[in-house]
Amino acid sequence: MSEDHASLYQKVVRITNVYLGPAADRFVTRQVQNHLHKPAEELSVGDLEKLIDWIRVAVSMLTEDTEIIEEYTTQLRRLIKVADKHSS
Amino acid sequence: MAQKLPKTPASNSSLQQHQAETEAVFRSIADGVIATDEFGKITRMNPVALKILGFKEDEVIGQWFPQKIVAFNNDHKQLSLIDRPMARAYLTGQPVQEKICYRRADGKIIPVQVSVSPILLNGKPLGAIEIFRDITLEEEVDRMKSEFISLASHQLRTPLSSVKTYSHMLIDGYMGELTAAQRESLQTIISATDRMNELISTLLNITRIESGAVQVSPRILDSHKVASDIMEELALQANNKNITVSLKSIGNGNPRIKTDRLILKEVLTNLLSNAIKYTPDDGKVSIIIEARSKDMQFTVSDTGWGIPEYVQDQIFSKFFRAHNIAHRETNGTGLGLYLVKGLLEEIGGKIWFTSDEHKGTSFHFTIPRSR
Repeated sequence: MSEDHASLYQKVVRITNVYLGPAADRFVTRQVQNHLHKPAEELSVGDLEKLIDWIRVAVSMLTEDTEIIEEYTTQLRRLIKVADKHSS
Repeated sequence: MAQKLPKTPASNSSLQQHQAETEAVFRSIADGVIATDEFGKITRMNPVALKILGFKEDEVIGQWFPQKIVAFNNDHKQLSLIDRPMARAYLTGQPVQEKICYRRADGKIIPVQVSVSPILLNGKPLGAIEIFRDITLEEEVDRMKSEFISLASHQLRTPLSSVKTYSHMLIDGYMGELTAAQRESLQTIISATDRMNELISTLLNITRIESGAVQVSPRILDSHKVASDIMEELALQANNKNITVSLKSIGNGNPRIKTDRLILKEVLTNLLSNAIKYTPDDGKVSIIIEARSKDMQFTVSDTGWGIPEYVQDQIFSKFFRAHNIAHRETNGTGLGLYLVKGLLEEIGGKIWFTSDEHKGTSFHFTIPRSR
């Protein structure tokens, strides 16, 4: 496990924390484990697109505010753009 | 390589035909169907769903599903958003099946059996589909059945107590001396009332399990002592058939366990009584208790007639009796093992068995230490 992977997971949790509060860590861990079938700490940039798809539908059951959902997933998508910038 | 079809009136018409067929299938489904998009908004509801919930189509389409169709648990407490079957299907990515309640448009709360699955296109979740049916009638029939058994059982117990009390008084000579034949007849009456009482207890216990009303009161107990007491109670039954019953405790764990005494007693009594009942004269029955770190395993073995392989998957079903023992032992009801399994599940236990026809059967069950 590299430090970059661990920090990506932490970044996802940090963003999620704004929307789900203390449930963020558990929520993200469950999403990664159930949909990506890997430990949360091994989350990689390549997984983010799929993770965001599942997070979007899961959060849609917790709030009807589509703007909040869009804002949240946009924040998460920025992590992909930042990673792409670093790799290029 | 497959060629792309040109957009011609013919292909449009076949697309329309396909859409019409899909729509007809959707509208013809006999259960209620609700489809939602990736934002949890209702995109489609079939006529059965609208009828069950009492809505009109334009009242629900585009509405946020959790808000429009409010869900409750069986105690009519509103389900939190995260506990709704659809949320759990999204969180796990797996289909979820559950009995819950929905509030209809007129405010009435009805029980429903729901089955929800995420809709996936190339692995991407696009929403969810929920199929549900109104189970009001089934629940009512179940409730009436349980009430009837409970009422009937209580009403049967009262006269039985009188029969048993007066039989004992007669046998004890309170109403004058009896002849040997009269005493023998009274013994038969007493054992028949005992059997009837056991049957009523079994029916009452099954009613409690099925209605979720089993009271579990765990306390520390010595499993060896419980088994030994049951052996004493069934000694007469074993002696009448010259069956040897043995008890052994093994394992490195603590022989004491915190569990419900009445449940353990009922389970062990049923298994030991069955072992004696379904073992020919001069056979052997053994109880082995293995104390382990996380649980306690009990094994009740006999040298009996065994369970034919082709009926082994039905052995824990209600009212089931294997044909090879039904004609040998007419007293069984086929409720004992169903009850045993249900009771063990109440305390987190598991039961399984191995059996060879004509050689014997071993029933194993475990009770967890931490509950």
